[in-house]
Amino acid sequence: MSNNRVSRRQFLGYTLTGVGGFMAAGMLMPMVRFAVDPVLQQKGAGDYVLTDQAVADITEEPVRVDFTFEQVDAWYTSEVTNSAWVYKEGDKLVALSPVCKHLGCTVNWGGDPEQPTQFFCPCHAGRYEKNGQNIAGTPPLGPLDEYDVQEQDGFVAIGQVKPNTLV
Amino acid sequence: MHFNSKDIDLYASQKDYVDTAVVPLIELDLTASGMKASAGASEYLQSLTVILEKQFKGRILLLPPISYVRAADRTELGGQLKKELSETGFKHIFYLTTDPKWRSVDDLDNVLWLPAIPTGDMDQSFKKSVMEDQLRQVLPLFTKEWTHHS
Repeated sequence: MSNNRVSRRQFLGYTLTGVGGFMAAGMLMPMVRFAVDPVLQQKGAGDYVLTDQAVADITEEPVRVDFTFEQVDAWYTSEVTNSAWVYKEGDKLVALSPVCKHLGCTVNWGGDPEQPTQFFCPCHAGRYEKNGQNIAGTPPLGPLDEYDVQEQDGFVAIGQVKPNTLV
Repeated sequence: MHFNSKDIDLYASQKDYVDTAVVPLIELDLTASGMKASAGASEYLQSLTVILEKQFKGRILLLPPISYVRAADRTELGGQLKKELSETGFKHIFYLTTDPKWRSVDDLDNVLWLPAIPTGDMDQSFKKSVMEDQLRQVLPLFTKEWTHHS
């Protein structure tokens, strides 16, 4: 037995403080967790999708680069393959979306033999400049969208789609 | 465009531009020996029409596959489809099928018969390149039809 005798009053005081503390912590912890939730949120792992196109092989001529990612549509997970037209502007990589801004067909580089340096939409003969600018007088009403693009270990990685920043 | 409510809204507002209907025709063979081949052909035709739709989204409406049993009268079915479609505004109608019996139906124009390739056992990237080759065979038929009758 130790020499400091704990009185009944002290014992009850310690016990109530301890139990009360636990209860308060139990209530406060989830609240704090909710409050700081945005900070703890994980960034989606699929921000950039690595393709098998080497950056060294990219020239000023746009090439089609396919990239595949998993898309979850309600309970159905599927592999979706999209493509991008990638070329170099000086040292900078540029990736344009192939989706026509008119009604969503897929555009091709040089698809019209008479306009080998433009993007061509086979559906309604829409045309775009190399930087995605739509050519007046053809159906599309806006420039092609652009992808975030970066180099990862010498290969092209494609990110999120965004409105065209080149025109 | 696909045959779903969202795309049909867009179709209704852009009727002038979407002037082509694509109808996949699929034969159902449910006998024990024919089932696998029939399923493979159906898978092939549906993959092909999906990538075709992706390429020409703004100009074609891809209808859901018309499936029928082996004994179905192709001539009668073709006539009914043709009649239903003639009441719409489509200027061009393409029927895609792997079923050789459609070749003897003279009533329908633009029946594209394709030999089914069993893509089910291929790995993803090989399947993709095969399907793209197939797509390249079909695309010129569409652009040719469009430039000749537009």
